[in-house]
Amino acid sequence: MANIGQLQAPTIAGEALARGRGHAALVPDLLVEARRIVNTVITGWHGRKKRGIGENFWQFRPYVEGEAVNRIDWRRSARDDHTYVRDREWEAAHTVWLWADPSPSMLYKSAAAAASKQERALVLVLAVAELLSRGGERIAWPDLTDPFTARNGAERIAARLVHAPESQAKPDLSAIRRFADLVLVSDFLDPVEETFAWLDALARRGARAHLIEIADPAEETFPYAGRTEFTDPETGEKLTAGRAERLADDYRRLYIARREELAAWCRRRGWSFITNHTDRPASEALVRLHMALSADGFLTKGSAA
Amino acid sequence: MSWLPLSFGAPMVLWGLIALPVIWWLLRLTPPKPQAEVFPPLKILARVLSREETPQQSPWWLTLLRLILAALVIAALADPVWNPREALPTKGSALALVIDNDWASAPDWDKRVATAERLITDAGKKGVPVIIAFTSEKPNAEIGPFDATAALDHLRAAKPRPIPTDRPAIYARVAQKLSGMPDASVAVLADGLAAKGDREAFDSLLSKNAANVVWAVPDRLDALVLADAQNEVDGFALTAIRAPGDVAPRQVTAGAFDEKGRRIADATLNFAAGATTATGTMKVPFELRNDFSSIALDGERQAGAVRVLDDSAKRRRVGLLSQIDADQAQPLLSPLFYIRRALSPFADLIDPSGADLAKSIPQLLERKPAMIVMADVGTIPPETRQKLIDWVDNGGTLVRFAGSRLAAAGNDDELLPVHLRTGERSLGGALSWTTPQPLSDFPRTGPFADLAPPKDVTVSRQVLAEPGPDIVERTWANLADGTPLVTGLKKGKGMLVLFHVTAEATWSSLPISGSFVEMLRRIVQLSRNQGAATVETGPSATALAPYRMIAADGALVPPPSDARPLLPSPGQPVTIENPPGLYGSQTGVFAHNLLNAKSTLAPLQRPQIGVPVTTVRYAFDQSRHLKGSLIAAAIVLMVLDTLAVFWIGGAMARFRRRPAAGATAAALLIALAALAVQPNPAKADDSKPGDEAAIEAIDKTRIAYVLTGVPKDDSISRAGIEGLNRFLIEKTALDPGPPAGVDIGKDELSFYPLIYWPIDPAAPMPSQAAIARIDAYMNQGGTVLFDTRDQFSSSIDDGSASPATGRLRDILGNLNVPPLEPVPPDHVLTKTFYILPEFPGRFTGSPLWVEASPDTSGSESRPVRAGDGVSPILITANDFAGAWAIDANGNPLLPTVPDDPMQRVYALRAGVNIMMYMLTGNYKSDQVHIPALLERLGQ
Repeated sequence: MANIGQLQAPTIAGEALARGRGHAALVPDLLVEARRIVNTVITGWHGRKKRGIGENFWQFRPYVEGEAVNRIDWRRSARDDHTYVRDREWEAAHTVWLWADPSPSMLYKSAAAAASKQERALVLVLAVAELLSRGGERIAWPDLTDPFTARNGAERIAARLVHAPESQAKPDLSAIRRFADLVLVSDFLDPVEETFAWLDALARRGARAHLIEIADPAEETFPYAGRTEFTDPETGEKLTAGRAERLADDYRRLYIARREELAAWCRRRGWSFITNHTDRPASEALVRLHMALSADGFLTKGSAA
Repeated sequence: MSWLPLSFGAPMVLWGLIALPVIWWLLRLTPPKPQAEVFPPLKILARVLSREETPQQSPWWLTLLRLILAALVIAALADPVWNPREALPTKGSALALVIDNDWASAPDWDKRVATAERLITDAGKKGVPVIIAFTSEKPNAEIGPFDATAALDHLRAAKPRPIPTDRPAIYARVAQKLSGMPDASVAVLADGLAAKGDREAFDSLLSKNAANVVWAVPDRLDALVLADAQNEVDGFALTAIRAPGDVAPRQVTAGAFDEKGRRIADATLNFAAGATTATGTMKVPFELRNDFSSIALDGERQAGAVRVLDDSAKRRRVGLLSQIDADQAQPLLSPLFYIRRALSPFADLIDPSGADLAKSIPQLLERKPAMIVMADVGTIPPETRQKLIDWVDNGGTLVRFAGSRLAAAGNDDELLPVHLRTGERSLGGALSWTTPQPLSDFPRTGPFADLAPPKDVTVSRQVLAEPGPDIVERTWANLADGTPLVTGLKKGKGMLVLFHVTAEATWSSLPISGSFVEMLRRIVQLSRNQGAATVETGPSATALAPYRMIAADGALVPPPSDARPLLPSPGQPVTIENPPGLYGSQTGVFAHNLLNAKSTLAPLQRPQIGVPVTTVRYAFDQSRHLKGSLIAAAIVLMVLDTLAVFWIGGAMARFRRRPAAGATAAALLIALAALAVQPNPAKADDSKPGDEAAIEAIDKTRIAYVLTGVPKDDSISRAGIEGLNRFLIEKTALDPGPPAGVDIGKDELSFYPLIYWPIDPAAPMPSQAAIARIDAYMNQGGTVLFDTRDQFSSSIDDGSASPATGRLRDILGNLNVPPLEPVPPDHVLTKTFYILPEFPGRFTGSPLWVEASPDTSGSESRPVRAGDGVSPILITANDFAGAWAIDANGNPLLPTVPDDPMQRVYALRAGVNIMMYMLTGNYKSDQVHIPALLERLGQ
């Protein structure tokens, strides 16, 4: 009887080199896939659609008394009797912090899923990085890079990830300033209190976070039956269930309750919460994230996409 | 284990049951292994799981199941036997088995074999030699000593015989063999019936070296046998007997069967309590009785319950005596004429060789007739008279007819039923005022009581009986005035009957009435046969071959190989060479029966034996080895255990949750079952040699040409037809296959609509058989296109034909050629595809000959003459193939004469028309109606 779920790329503690190779093999493919996914949402990403400080022309508008005279566009004003001011499009760069959960539980992939959670998370993060880089935003990875602007932001992030030290700890978020956006991709399987404690400081600092929960279908539907011994990939703790199918309903209730609690907590802070299942396309989550990032203050609700 | 009919072959293994508690303890400790799964949200699951208690041990029922499984395996290893048989008490250095395999052993023969098998098997285990003898086998049959295996083979080869035992001879042989073996066990497996010489037989058997005796007889002798079957007046009298030990009242049904084994009559025989004999009568009509071939008791599967019947139980023999020589010129006046006509359908008539009574009467009596008819015999010679009287006393029936001689001879108390008055009585004569008397109703007491009285019989003369006190009871028929006409008297076992009139129609009209036949027939039925049909005895008697034998189980079977011919005389012993049954042939048989009326069934008394005797019963070995059953049960439990483990492991729930997987598994199971159950359907190979060629020939329409044997002609023919094919493909919807060259002597011709036959005088003349095939082909609807190709090579002289034409004439001389004509202008051939006035080939000018159309008149208004069918023959001299022939590039091979390109086109068009004519027949001639049809449709 085949197992329902397994760890996709089993990690042996201390084997940083093997882990790095795994990353190296993974990242180019992810980049390609991330670009492919980005192409579906690239339209409409450029520009802020409002006047501000920037380099590109936005509009001519009639000169109003009291404005700085040096802003008058004389070349346009010379054509007729009116005086015009040349507005430029606002193109202020924005800092977006990206983070994908590297914990072993993310390596899980069930038979029904298309990819492991970690793979999906990396794909999503790199896709966002690609998107933001093209849009000229500053991207950063906590504990890994400071914010930078580059056309090849996704490649640089990937290269950094390959050489990143093995770390399962939660990153230090103290560098994140006000008005920055933070994209957190994880399975959020830790007790919600811990997650809340971790993110609360962020909320108080005025940053905005976008939580993407990567869920494996087996974790949500609990298709196990019979006498089953469950192992936690992080702690190695074991639990044996005599008739696993009897637990399914209770477990599902708790699992969904955790998600609802997270989503409600995010909603209260004006953050977005997005769920992506590994048996669904990654682009679904990317589109939602795109909307959440581009919507000014309006937040999409977390949904069980 | 005395309270259970159970024993163990290896009881020590049962100590293994002690291990069961250990197994129980081990099983309790090892729950089934869980399915290991990685599960990241374990913390969430832990909150749920804490509420459920996890079983740490196997469920009790699984443990119980496994314990039972272990116990079953241990018990099976101990080799248990249900109903173990006890060892039979044989000992000593040898075992001598004497087994009765006579007719009485047949019903329970299998039991006897089983008993003997046990004895032999025990002897085989001890390794002692076995002597095995059967008392109904041939005296020189091999009896051993054998080893146990050979003895068992002999035992299984033996079968019961439908004959009595011959204990003295066989026992003596066994005793002789035993003389060299001291301390032998003797097993007597008897049938329980006493036979002659038993005492001496047992004495001789046990006199030598018998250390102990195993004595087996049936528990009870319940065999019923049919001792006698006699054809009596009103039915078959059956006598059945049984052994004296059987005292309960019993009823048994006997059935009579005809030659083909059909049951045609029944009778019930009742044994009173304590009686050993039962009788019954099978009351069936006389004619039906004659069809009896055998009589058998129902439910008795042995030879003694069957009797076969021969002719002596059937048709009566009737002797005819008369003193008047039959005048061949006036047969109607012969006294025996009417008797002969009346009796011959249901009796065998015997005539003496001469008229001399002194010789003819003994001659008749020698043949033991059932009845003798004397027509007007007056005085019987004294030397034969006593014989005749004895014959009557022993059961003969003497029928006499009156007449002038009898009337003159006077009284004869011993051979006449009544006292007669001298002289005769005349009724209705010239000097009498009485009228001829009719018959009254038959007296109730006489044998004719149930016959219809004849109304039209009149009696004008008769002899008169002297009235006496017993005249009434002796009167079987009388006249209307009460005088007796037929009188009868039982004398001894026999009977005397007198008709008071003559046997011919002079005294009365009785002999020419139907009643006469009825009366004679009734008398014949009353008579009884006096012995076997065959009277030849002594050296001149011929032995009869076995015809139908009674098998040991009572069935009538073809004779076995060891049956010998039998001298047909009563009292022949029933032996293995003359088993009971019918001897003779289909035309006449002699019945040789196992028992006769004097037979009895006496139970066998156990003789006084000086050595220890053990009595055993005949019984089957009912021991059953339980090892296989127990192991099968253990396997079933093992399967259950596996299923239970699967269930505990959640496989069932998993299948339920994933219906696709379940359906896949179910489909796999069903497929496996179907694979196992369904035999591979054998596909009969019905292909025959030549099938491929035939399929190729009929796959497409192909034009054939005759392989003349001249390579040049054949290649031109082939090229020509290829050219025509190409033209057909270009111009018409027909897509012919490649040309087919046929050898008219061998190949099947019926595949081709048209055969092109170029006549070449250089080619060998086709054989008669080939021409006959061509003839058949033409008659069956094919068409041959003969092409002489000699349009311009015929000589100037009209009277002489070219060699090709001569050859064509030779060929056609052997064919059924219809009348021919050149294609008339209105022939359908001119219009089938192209409108053609002529049919040129490489040459031009020769007409195309076709079968003459039947009627050309009255069709002026029609552009095409009507006519059914297709001409079976087309003859031209224009060399079609030469004009059609093309090479591989499509260029013409041969020039036309004259060299006109259009002529080649016309030749090809002619070919198209011919081909269309072949394929569509007179279709184009029907097309001429189209204008009329269109007009009617209002177009």
